[in-house]
Amino acid sequence: MATQKVEKTKLDRIRSLAKAPMDDYYVPGHRTCAGCGPAINYRMVAKAAGKDTIFVGPTGCMYVANTSYLCVPWAVPWIHAQITNGGGIGSGISAAYEARIRKGKYHGTFPNVIVMAGDGGSADIGLQSLSGAMYRNHDLLFIAYDNEAYANTGIQVSPTTPYGARTTFTPPGPVVPEGKKLWPKDLAKLVVGGHPSVKYVATASIGYPIDLMNKVRKALNVEGAAFMHIHAPCPKGWGFPANKTIEIARLAVQTGMWTMWEFENGEYKLNIEPKKLKPVSQYLEVQDRFNHLTTEHKAKIQNFVNQKLATLGIKVPVEAVTA
Amino acid sequence: MKSYKVEIPEEKLLPEAGIVKAPPPNGEQEGMITGCWRVLRPVIDREKCTMCRSCWIFCPDQAIQIAEEKMSIKLKYCKGCGICANICPVGAIERVPELDFEDGVVRLEKLF
Amino acid sequence: MGTKKFLTGLGATATAVKMADVDVITSFPIRPYTGVMMILSQMVANGELDAEFVHADGEHAQLSICHGASAAGARTFTGSSGVGVTYAFETYSPISGGRCPVQMLIADRTLDPPGDFGSEHTDALGCRDQGWIMGWAETPQEVFDNTLIYYRIGEDPRVRLPQFNCHDGYFVSHIPGEVAIPEQSQVDEFLPPYQPVHPLDPQNPVGHGPQIFPDQGPALEAMRHNAMMAAMPVIEEAIDDFGRIFGRKYVPFVEEFMTDDADFAFFINGAHAHTARYAIKHLREKGVKVGLVKIRFIRPWPTDALQENLSKFKAVGVIETNSSFGVARGGGILTAEVCASLYDAAQKPLIASFMGGLGGEPITLNEFFFIAEKLNKIAESGKIEKPVYWLGFEE
Repeated sequence: MATQKVEKTKLDRIRSLAKAPMDDYYVPGHRTCAGCGPAINYRMVAKAAGKDTIFVGPTGCMYVANTSYLCVPWAVPWIHAQITNGGGIGSGISAAYEARIRKGKYHGTFPNVIVMAGDGGSADIGLQSLSGAMYRNHDLLFIAYDNEAYANTGIQVSPTTPYGARTTFTPPGPVVPEGKKLWPKDLAKLVVGGHPSVKYVATASIGYPIDLMNKVRKALNVEGAAFMHIHAPCPKGWGFPANKTIEIARLAVQTGMWTMWEFENGEYKLNIEPKKLKPVSQYLEVQDRFNHLTTEHKAKIQNFVNQKLATLGIKVPVEAVTA
Repeated sequence: MKSYKVEIPEEKLLPEAGIVKAPPPNGEQEGMITGCWRVLRPVIDREKCTMCRSCWIFCPDQAIQIAEEKMSIKLKYCKGCGICANICPVGAIERVPELDFEDGVVRLEKLF
Repeated sequence: MGTKKFLTGLGATATAVKMADVDVITSFPIRPYTGVMMILSQMVANGELDAEFVHADGEHAQLSICHGASAAGARTFTGSSGVGVTYAFETYSPISGGRCPVQMLIADRTLDPPGDFGSEHTDALGCRDQGWIMGWAETPQEVFDNTLIYYRIGEDPRVRLPQFNCHDGYFVSHIPGEVAIPEQSQVDEFLPPYQPVHPLDPQNPVGHGPQIFPDQGPALEAMRHNAMMAAMPVIEEAIDDFGRIFGRKYVPFVEEFMTDDADFAFFINGAHAHTARYAIKHLREKGVKVGLVKIRFIRPWPTDALQENLSKFKAVGVIETNSSFGVARGGGILTAEVCASLYDAAQKPLIASFMGGLGGEPITLNEFFFIAEKLNKIAESGKIEKPVYWLGFEE
């Protein structure tokens, strides 16, 4: 519980790619898929956070694929957490440093504590732990890297899987033509809506690295708990070629399927307020997981996106597609 | 008292509690060399390259390195995903079949 | 030296935790252990104990937070009872395999269904395979002492294992007894500060718990086994040192009472030993040659000490305040382990199980007399009519 000021190294804003930090704390030699979105995310986050960092890795792709076998690709301390308790383990590390620094048992600066949980480990089985950490306002950053499925176990549905997506638990068929029937949880809004002590919440995407890295730094600079929801497309799970990961990430933002905003000091701020949006069909049609959708399904999705954008104050120039 | 400890041969010993040392920053994790995954090798056309660093930031495996005003590819780990070629704003990166090269496909001495 | 106070088991635990200068405490309410957290929170609020008092979002969270804190180098304390203990089950192996010497108080409680606040050992015993040090305290004094002793054992660099510090709910947790509180200097002499071997520290980066390939499994598990085995001499050292510093000399593993020329013995774990001793004194006055054997550590289980000890009796009655529906021989958990301990003995006593104290009922003097009567018959006839008796249901 952040009961007193913690001494942390302040991280500076990154002005451009040319001025981005050169050092990498997520190094090559990991078994993630070629073109893995979450791996790209990890590299950017580790780069932004720097060497005074401790990562907590709940079970998921970013655990199993990265540490197979008996090895770690992080040049900073890292600990495995259960998929259920990323928030808990992170809280413990943060509490330990609070106590030990205060009691003179540790001599050094308070490290960045970053929980890197998948969407399952944040919105579903890990939700309670996330909420506890945010409520108690431990000095840590909880990142939900969202590849919209329980990917590591072979692409099963999670609460952030979009409506209409095929996963191995939501296969389309005559009884369930759309595949996934349920509308996804909005994780970032969940955190903002119910945790009054959290001073910084942001959404980000690997398609926009400078924005992502600066948000990580802002989140780490803030005192107390911070949360980020980062979009990290998964070529294997979503059914697109491995070289298109960044293209898909950008397309999500360009169609409104992913929105970019920050919640800071009690106020929302949009980072990308597009003048024009591409229709969602352009996003859906390039991913195999949506190739069973009818025009009606796509219209429903367009409607959902329109409404979501409206609540964020983005005027919607794109009408629902009927053909 | 009798000990029920089990004798573990030296060569089978593993780090206590599975706690392993971290690699150094900008280092590598040789327990999982992934260059052998590659089917298409990225080749950078230095004439076209504007040093915008897009390929560098988006490589999941930190296989693109910047050294002395030049972008180069660390073939030991490049999985050949092709994101660099796809994202390059000036089309300076071409994907060439790995087997076209003399030193095509990184061979592992021992599987994992 | 020190003072004497009248404390409950929970009060004794809190006092010991304070004197052990714990860094991180995680709380969540469940009967009957909650009181220890209430006392500790007041101590923290008063400035008597400098620790992070974290309100966990459930028992699984309590353990998870302690895991992270311990991995980062803190001395941690948590606790629970009953279904709280079983809710946190997922975390026990990761914590012990991660060699984080977390201490968890278990003021035991009958498991649901349905709700039953009374004491039973199944909640803690159900976790005996998870690689934690485990044992019961019989009195508030023993609770106080075990709290310190268990940190000392668990944090020893040769061991580095977490500990379940157990005692009977209500019988020990809530009924006060006299506790000799030592001087802080004595505690400091017995229990040095925790020195983690590979803490999570950016100054020395390590990775805790990477994925392994199945062929790496056997070695890792063998090493964990060895850590548990290494605990046995460490326990003896710690108990010895404790006696020297505090003046209370415990037997490390197997405590005996009036067993010198006993024909048969009660084998017991936990608070009901208290009543058992009164029953034995009474029986002895009547000329019955009966004794008590109380086990002090369930893990590591003292196989050799028990084998040596129990062999001398003609019959042993294992008192089971636990359930393991469908267990071998139909008794309880302890009988199975006692039988295993005696398997290699040249001389084996006849063994019967006595299911008692279930649901939190006290085991009465009459019930102990009943057990003695049955064991006497077994010892004299050399035959076991029934291997299992359910106290209170037998004629």
